[in-house]
Amino acid sequence: MKSINDRSQDIGPFVSQTDDGVIICRCEEITKGEIRQAIHDGMFTVNEIRRYLRSGMGLCQGQTCGRLVKNIVVQELDVIPAQLDPATSRSPMRPVEMKVLGNEEVTHV
Amino acid sequence: MKRYDLIVVGAGPSGLSAAIEAARCGLTVAVFDENAKPGGQLFKQIHKFFGSKEHQAKIRGYKIGETLLSEADAVGVKVFLNATVSGMYMDKEILVRRGDAMEHCKADAIIIATGASENMVTFDGWTLPGVIGAGAAQTMMNLYSIQPGQRVLMLGSGNVGLVVSFQLMQAGCEVIALVDASPRIGGYGVHASKIARCGVPFYLSHTITKAEGPDCITGVEISQVDDHFTPIPGTQKHFDVDTICMAVGLSPMSQLLKMAGCSMIDDPRRGGQVPLVDENGETSIPGIFAAGDVSGIEEASSAMIEGRMSGLSAAAYLGFLSEKDKDSSLNELEVALNSLHQGMFAPGSKGKAFTKTDEGIAVSQSLLKKGYLDEADIARFNHFDKKSGVHPVIECTQNIPCNPCQDACPKDCIKIGKTITALPRIDADSTCTGCGMCVASCSGQAIFLVDEDYEPGYASITLPYEFLPRPQKGDLGTALSRSGQPLGVAEIIDVRSAKAFDHTTLVTMKVPVAQAMTARFYKREAQRAEL
Repeated sequence: MKSINDRSQDIGPFVSQTDDGVIICRCEEITKGEIRQAIHDGMFTVNEIRRYLRSGMGLCQGQTCGRLVKNIVVQELDVIPAQLDPATSRSPMRPVEMKVLGNEEVTHV
Repeated sequence: MKRYDLIVVGAGPSGLSAAIEAARCGLTVAVFDENAKPGGQLFKQIHKFFGSKEHQAKIRGYKIGETLLSEADAVGVKVFLNATVSGMYMDKEILVRRGDAMEHCKADAIIIATGASENMVTFDGWTLPGVIGAGAAQTMMNLYSIQPGQRVLMLGSGNVGLVVSFQLMQAGCEVIALVDASPRIGGYGVHASKIARCGVPFYLSHTITKAEGPDCITGVEISQVDDHFTPIPGTQKHFDVDTICMAVGLSPMSQLLKMAGCSMIDDPRRGGQVPLVDENGETSIPGIFAAGDVSGIEEASSAMIEGRMSGLSAAAYLGFLSEKDKDSSLNELEVALNSLHQGMFAPGSKGKAFTKTDEGIAVSQSLLKKGYLDEADIARFNHFDKKSGVHPVIECTQNIPCNPCQDACPKDCIKIGKTITALPRIDADSTCTGCGMCVASCSGQAIFLVDEDYEPGYASITLPYEFLPRPQKGDLGTALSRSGQPLGVAEIIDVRSAKAFDHTTLVTMKVPVAQAMTARFYKREAQRAEL
C-alpha cells in the first residue's frame, strides 16, 4: 500500500485529458484539470486541495463535489479511497450569514 | 442553554422512530430538522413499501410518515423544523440555527439521523440547468406538484432510479430512456417491469457522454461503455430531452459525527464515510448514536428499525430502560431487521450476480438486461395447473423481502411461508374468486388476474393501474406487452377502485385469448376532447 503522505513519490508528469475542462466544484467553479494540476503540484489530500483551490468551500460546502474530488485524487495517485483522509468537518456545517452566526440570542421555546 | 435527555438530529424515518421509542421510555426528546417539513424522504415516497406487516409493507411511504408524526406528537416529542444543526461538540452540545439566531443545546444522549445526500457523475454539460438529482425530481413532483420537465432521461437503474422514473410518468412526464453503466439493472425487477411495460427502453452498459444545449438541456448523448466503464467511440446515441435525472447513489451525511470526534471509516459498501457503530448504532463515543442512512445507505424500512433500536439503546444508556427490557425489545427488532437483510438485494449481496433463485429456478436474464420477463421466463416461474376461470398470475421472480400478497388473499391462494424472501406460490387447491386484493396489495405491481375463458376467443386481464385519468368501462385502447409493444385493441370491461386497494385502480381489459399471457398493460387512447 502506497503512503499518500510520501510527497517524494513520482506520480509522473501532468498530462492533459480531454475532460479537464469539466467543472467539478460548481460553487467555486473549479475544473477537473485544475484539481489534477494541484495534485501534481503536491497537494495529495482533499484538505490541501481545498486550501489551494477553494474546491468544496462554497455554498454547498462540498456536499456535491467532495466525493468527486476524492475520486480524482484516488485515480491520480492510484490509491484506494480508504487511504485518503477525508476533508475535515467543521462547524458551521451549512452556510450561515455572519450576522446570524454572531447572534447567539436565547430564543428557545 | 436548553437541555434535553435526548436530541435527535433529523426528522426522517429513522430520527422520528428513534424519538418515539425514547419518548415512550420517558425521555424528554427534541428533534431538529433543517427542512420546512418533517418526514425526510417519506413524504416523497408515494409508492407502496415492500416487506411484511411488521415493516408496514403495502403502505405508501407518505402514510407511514403521517403515522410517525402523529405518534411522535402523542408521546410528546418536540420537533423543531427549519432548525439546522450546524455543529456538534464535546459533551454532547450542538449548535442550531433557528431563524436569525444560533442556539446551543445540550443532551445526555444524541442520535444522529441526518440521512444522505445524492451523488453526481460528471460529463460535458452536467452543470447546465436541467440536470438534477432524482431526489430533487421527487421533491418537485411529490412535495410541490411541479413537473421537473417534459422529456426526461434517467441515469441509474437502482431502486431510486426505477421508482422515480415511474413517478415521473405518473406526474405526466415522458421518460425517454433509463441508462446505467452497469451491465445489469440494479434495482428490483418488478420496479423495472412497471416501467418497461410502459415502453421505456433500458440502455445497460451505457453512460451519458454529453449534455447538450446552449444554456439549458435540449438533448443528451449516451455511449456504450467497455468493461472498465470507458465510453466506446462510435457508439453514441442522441435523445431530445429537457431534463436529465441522476440516481447514481447516495453518500451518508456524517459530518456532525466526524466533527464530534466519532471514529469513522470509509466503507464503500455502506456508501462512503460512516461512523463505526455497534449493532445498536452506538458510535465510539458513549451516548452518541447513528441511525438510518448516515450509518450506511439502505432504505426507509431498515432506517425505521435502526432508529427504534438506537432510541431504545439511548433510553437504556440513560437508565430509563432496564438492560433486560432493552435486550428483549432489541432482539425482536433485530429479527425484523434481519428479515429485510435477506435475499438477492441484501446489503451483503451487493454486486453479486445470482444465476438461480433460492428455489433453484434460473433467474431471468431478460429482466436484468431489458427490464421485463420473456416468455420462457414466464413458463419457468408460473407452473400452475391450468384451471378454468379467473386465476392470479404472479410475475415476481426475484428473492426480495416482501409478502403482502400472502396475507391479501381471503382464499389463501398465495403462499410464501415464513421466509419472506421466498417466491410466492399459487396453491392449486384454492379457488380464486377474482377479488383482486392480491393485485392491489403487490407493491411491485407484479400480480395479474387472467381468465382465458372470459368469452369464446377472448381473455380478460386485470392489472394494477396507478395513472390518471383512469380508463372508463367501455373504453377502447391498446394492449401493451411486457416490453411496452402494442399488441392490438383492448376493451376495458371493468374498472374497480376501493379503499382497501389504496389508490391502486384495478383495470380489467378484454384481449384476444392468444394475448392472455403476453398483454400486461393498457394504453389509453387520447380521447377526442383531449386532442
